[in-house]
Amino acid sequence: MNRRVVPAGLALAGLAAGLLVAGSSAPGPPASAAGVGPILAASAVTPTAGRTGRSTTPPCDPTASLRPAGPPRVTPGSFMAKIRAHGYLVAGIDPTRYHFSYLNPLKGQIQGFEIDLLHAIAAAIFGNPYDIRFRPLQDAQRIPDLRSGAVDIVAQDFVITCTRKKAIDFSTVYLASGQQVLVESDSPFKHVTSLGQLAGKKVCAVTGSLSLANVAAATPHPIPVAAPYWTDCMVLLQQGDVAAVSTVSTVLLGLAAQDPYARIVSPLLDSEPEGLGISQEHPDFVRFVNAVLVQLRSDGQWAQSYARWIGTPVPAPPPARYSG
Amino acid sequence: MTTVAGPAGTARPSASALARPAWRAARPTPLMLRWTLIGLVGVSLLWGAAAAWTVAQHASAAGDVVTTIEPLSVDAQQIYRALSDADATAATSFLSGGLEPLPVRQRYLSDIARAASGLEAATAAATAAGQSSAAAPLARLTDDLPVYAGMVETARADYRLGYPLGAAYLREASTLMRTALLPAASDLYAQENARLAAADGQATGLPYLAGALAVVAAYVLLRAQRWLARRTHRVFNRGLLAASAVGLVSAAWLFGALTLARGHLLDARDHGSAPVEALARADIAALRGHSDESLTLVDNDGDDAFQKDFLAVAKQLGPGPGTLLTGAAGAARGSAGARQAAAAAAGAPAWYAVHGQLRFLDDTGQHAAAVQLAIGSGPGDSGRLFARLDTGLASAIGQDQNAFRAAGQTGRDDLAGLEIGMIAASLLMAAGCAWGLVARLAEYR
Repeated sequence: MNRRVVPAGLALAGLAAGLLVAGSSAPGPPASAAGVGPILAASAVTPTAGRTGRSTTPPCDPTASLRPAGPPRVTPGSFMAKIRAHGYLVAGIDPTRYHFSYLNPLKGQIQGFEIDLLHAIAAAIFGNPYDIRFRPLQDAQRIPDLRSGAVDIVAQDFVITCTRKKAIDFSTVYLASGQQVLVESDSPFKHVTSLGQLAGKKVCAVTGSLSLANVAAATPHPIPVAAPYWTDCMVLLQQGDVAAVSTVSTVLLGLAAQDPYARIVSPLLDSEPEGLGISQEHPDFVRFVNAVLVQLRSDGQWAQSYARWIGTPVPAPPPARYSG
Repeated sequence: MTTVAGPAGTARPSASALARPAWRAARPTPLMLRWTLIGLVGVSLLWGAAAAWTVAQHASAAGDVVTTIEPLSVDAQQIYRALSDADATAATSFLSGGLEPLPVRQRYLSDIARAASGLEAATAAATAAGQSSAAAPLARLTDDLPVYAGMVETARADYRLGYPLGAAYLREASTLMRTALLPAASDLYAQENARLAAADGQATGLPYLAGALAVVAAYVLLRAQRWLARRTHRVFNRGLLAASAVGLVSAAWLFGALTLARGHLLDARDHGSAPVEALARADIAALRGHSDESLTLVDNDGDDAFQKDFLAVAKQLGPGPGTLLTGAAGAARGSAGARQAAAAAAGAPAWYAVHGQLRFLDDTGQHAAAVQLAIGSGPGDSGRLFARLDTGLASAIGQDQNAFRAAGQTGRDDLAGLEIGMIAASLLMAAGCAWGLVARLAEYR
């Protein structure tokens, strides 16, 4: 099934199935490292056509979102009013990404850059930033759960793509991210400008992620290794079972922060803008969230949050783009 | 033996059927007496040998059961349960947020220590017994236990720094435990149990050979005495009578002691090792369920693999027809641990109900409340309900193990001194036979 040439979104599932799930076996010592064998001829998957930032003529304008109607206001009959009546905002998150969205083991609380955004949205609806219930989701569940109404909003490392915009809506971009490469400091790779430089080396990414497809599509070919969670990739890296971890900066920064010997050795290799996912049934909520984001960008909260979780120097927030 | 003295000519040894009535009435020849003597002594010694061999077989099997194999099976079970407990405890210890509670840490450390000491004992015993089939699982356990403990400590260090990477190490540790360590421990335990069952079967087997020889010896002695009585016109031959009496006593002793020992050993099995095994299987499954429950909370990523495993374990565990808990309670019926086993089985559904509530809380974003249910010690908390199930099963196991040892030792002691007794008895029988027939032979001198 991984020999088929399929468009990006569909290719992922097949690709993941063709890969060895390294993290689900004991990672540990050399014995099991042998289990993480070379897996897939990267040529099996064509470069991800139609992916944001890669295609020369984008079929749509992915980052353009709905224009806010002034400052955030909960109007009667709106979806925000429904959420308020419900008593709490239900947010889909992935609590394993340090500094972006993670369960702080010391406090037992979910924290991070993305969580700050959600608190700001809850504060705009309820006046209380803590009226949120966090629902941990697997990446593959994000779109179905938004469409079914199981969650009101998803703040989970959600890269805005045209394919996804057919199924759900996105807020304006809250973080400009892109694929990068993480290695340990004793790695021979000191400066990586393309994934092809890692040819023949094992590179870890999460099952079903765009990052994994990118690793598989690179030429010459690195050896993609799939793990269930990003932290599993970090375990494999620390145990020496893979040479590098490659994914968007929002994940890698969090992984690097948990290991003083881990280094991000590449610039952004592509552009993967991240937005908050919302159901297409609630354009009023999209506008509302965009209004909150406008406030965060202008009143310095975005910068403050960036400094706290990601570090300094703080860049300018990604500009909002609207299409309607 | 060399000269045929006396009225040899009168006797015609079994020449023709016509001569038989005359021959029967005639006095036995010395040759016939000598052959009878040899036959009787031979039968006596054979009986003694068979009886002593039977006793040796049963006594050594019973001794093995009590002194080497049962302790080994306990070692294997200790390794298995300690590892299961370590898996469950490690997962629980990082749930609370902040520092792990000291009692939980100590429980984990003592689990690892128990597993390691059980492993050492089992390795030494398997080497001594030349038990090569145990080598593979023992090697696997010896190799992987330090790797497992290392990963748990890495998880602990990461948790102390507030890094969610700790959860990944914990998950990897648990995966190693479930895919390598626990299967090896299960394999070892199954092997030791099979050995226990085999030795138990040998110790409680029926003594066919000794029984057959007892019948043969009785028949031969009886026939010899009747023959002598007719041919010598003496109703009793004192020597043979004494030999018969000794034979009777020794047979009664042998079969009495074997029956007694068998009863005690069967009791040890039915109210000891059999319920212990069933209870241990149930306890191991319960520990796995507890570990799953904690991991659904640690592994807080919307992945429901551990929840699925919990549901599968709960189904296996029961109670209900064909489930582990019902099986264990049934096996323990009438044993020392019966009451605890039944109570544990009855308490399991309450745990499952709270687990359902816990999952609901966690799935609807109320993680902290779910964690509180998992680790809490209130009467309606999952942690407390599981602990009740676990301690109930563990104490039933302890009681039935003691019952096994007591009954097993009694069974072994029932056979004490029997082997020497059988040898002495057969020598006495042979001596009696010899005395009785030599007296007759002397009449020809």
